Amino acid sequence: MRLGAPQSSPDQAVMLAAVKLARALREFGLSASVDAEHTFIRGLAEIDVRDRTQMYWTGHATFVHSPDQHPIFDAIFERFWEGRPLILEEAGSEHGESDARMQGSHHGGEALPQFGGEGKKKTAVDGDRNRGERDIPSAESEDGASHQERGVLAAWSDQEILSRRENLEYQEDELLALRLLAKEIKRQAPARRSRRAHASPAGHRFDVRQTVRSSLETDGEAFRLGFSAPTMRPRRLLFLCDVSGSMERYSRVLLASLGAAVGAARRAEAFVFATRLTRLTKSLDGRDLEQALDKARAAIPDWSGGTRIGYALSEFNSTYGRRGYARGAIVIVVSDGWDRGDPKILEDEVRRLQLQARRLVWINPRPMSVDQQPLAIGMRAAMPYIDDFVPGHDPRAVAGLAQLIGGLASDRPARRIVPARPTGP
Amino acid sequence: MHGFNSIAELSTALTSQRYLMDEGLATVVYLAIRLGKPLLVEGEPGVGKTELAKALASATGVPLIRLQCYEGIDVHQALYDWDYPRQLLQLRAGGHTPLYSEEFLLRRPLLEALAQPNAVLLIDELDRADDEFEAFLLEFLSDFQVTIPEIGVVRAPQPPIVIITSNRTRDLHEALKRRCLYHWIDHPDLQREVAIARARLPHVGQSLVDQICSFVQDLRWLDLYRSPGVGETLDWVQAFHELGHHQLDARTASSTLGTLLKERDDLERIRAGDLDAAVARSVQRAQEFRQRNYLR
Repeated sequence: MRLGAPQSSPDQAVMLAAVKLARALREFGLSASVDAEHTFIRGLAEIDVRDRTQMYWTGHATFVHSPDQHPIFDAIFERFWEGRPLILEEAGSEHGESDARMQGSHHGGEALPQFGGEGKKKTAVDGDRNRGERDIPSAESEDGASHQERGVLAAWSDQEILSRRENLEYQEDELLALRLLAKEIKRQAPARRSRRAHASPAGHRFDVRQTVRSSLETDGEAFRLGFSAPTMRPRRLLFLCDVSGSMERYSRVLLASLGAAVGAARRAEAFVFATRLTRLTKSLDGRDLEQALDKARAAIPDWSGGTRIGYALSEFNSTYGRRGYARGAIVIVVSDGWDRGDPKILEDEVRRLQLQARRLVWINPRPMSVDQQPLAIGMRAAMPYIDDFVPGHDPRAVAGLAQLIGGLASDRPARRIVPARPTGP
Repeated sequence: MHGFNSIAELSTALTSQRYLMDEGLATVVYLAIRLGKPLLVEGEPGVGKTELAKALASATGVPLIRLQCYEGIDVHQALYDWDYPRQLLQLRAGGHTPLYSEEFLLRRPLLEALAQPNAVLLIDELDRADDEFEAFLLEFLSDFQVTIPEIGVVRAPQPPIVIITSNRTRDLHEALKRRCLYHWIDHPDLQREVAIARARLPHVGQSLVDQICSFVQDLRWLDLYRSPGVGETLDWVQAFHELGHHQLDARTASSTLGTLLKERDDLERIRAGDLDAAVARSVQRAQEFRQRNYLR
């Protein structure tokens, strides 16, 4: 029964368990590198491996890199600690020899199931449960509301309905146009002064460092005075785009433009919203635009749902906004202002957004004058807090976007102080 | 020498500095010290990220070296610079000391941390610096050595304890995270917050501390724009104390709420709500809390 006893010392059993844990974490998308594994094992030597809390936090510190990975780690660690199989394939194979419970008692971990081999547990993992576990990373996939509102809002979208995913393939020439757009945005993006200076004969700041350097050659005589000028760096562009039902016919191109912008400006952030907010920067970031667009499309949970701009902006303000994503940025909202939520909330949130942004730009694809349509209620609520309102801009005119961004003023707009809330009943 | 032989020992040492941490944080800090790895801590503003480094430095009796990051920070502000005016004077005076020698070297925080035999290095709000700086830091953090072209390689005799904080205004590079241990600090629970407040403000009456802490705990459940941190709780307790109040009451609460909440919308929302009821609830809960602890 003690199979392969010599090479499977208890330490090895712990190590093996650590490797398994790391492998399972990788399976669920955590970046448990070999480095991290190594750190984890070194960490285990420093702590009491019988103590669940210490084990947990050691694993947490080495494998988790952001708060959103927390639930995944929790779930897997739970299984790990209880000695349950972590991955389906592992359930009935390998490492049968390393049952640490059979070994001597000079180490702390041997009595615990999580350090035991799993070879003896031949029970197959329940299919349903396993599927459930694979769903961990996208826990909140339920969103009934988004579909109910679709018909109402999409009603006036008389043209192409492009939201179905199979219709969203991009043609080669379109991709080319997008690459051109990316180039153009890069060229046109508004700049800000960085604190860093660079040597420039035309600069106005006296540069001691440079002057001394050059006077070394002349025995300390400063023949040439050095000057420097502040470096200009691209200002952060933050896109918040509506991809709800009423924006359906623009969504496809909008998404592509976002991809181009994120690829172009090194500090561009892209978010889309319908009923809730999705950050796309990570999905869109990458060398291959086509691949990036595919990833981004898959990442949007409520494509063409109803719109609750207020709630989406509130979500932005209280999460990313609070952490400073909009600070000093040119914030570009693309939406027609059709809002199913409370206009009061929308108003409050747009105001908050404006206070954080360098400039708040609102691109509304609906022309104001055509069919004498009044502004959507949401749009009207947001109006007082917008620095640049661009009505009637068709996001489908791809080249226009770069021009628009280039044309945006980067200076601080004059804003009148608006009372937080009109007081009254 | 920063040697702690157990997590409990570390906890006790920091508690004596009036920094109370939960078991999770204690474990991670202990590991960071033992493994010689930088510790990246993230969390809402006001949960005591910076305070951790300060407490750690005074608990171990080593200097705290702080590098505050900002947009555009570069090598000359973080690592070293040359003392140009002095170099120029030396040149003009015809001195013989080589211009690019230690004598004219200005040590900035990172170099200072390498030169000290023991130190706690706090790299504060790294997310504010640019990506290039992060890349530069990567090199520093993996080997604890830097190369100064004119002098050569400077290596730390013993790597400092490094605490990096970030407010998550942007994602830090994965490569940097890989080199660090990671911890997310949450707001403390009632028990801990009361303990912190008592440790920090020993001169304030216990019932006031209990009541205010349970009030703040309730506030954090509301979806405020900016939840109050521990620092603000302490300020608020202090405010009540200065005004000569020994109990939480709605009127004083309303007039001093600005110490706790710094957003106009939040303030209005709380003032517009039923403050009397909220205060009564907190007083009640504080009493229960005390009884429970008393029994224990």
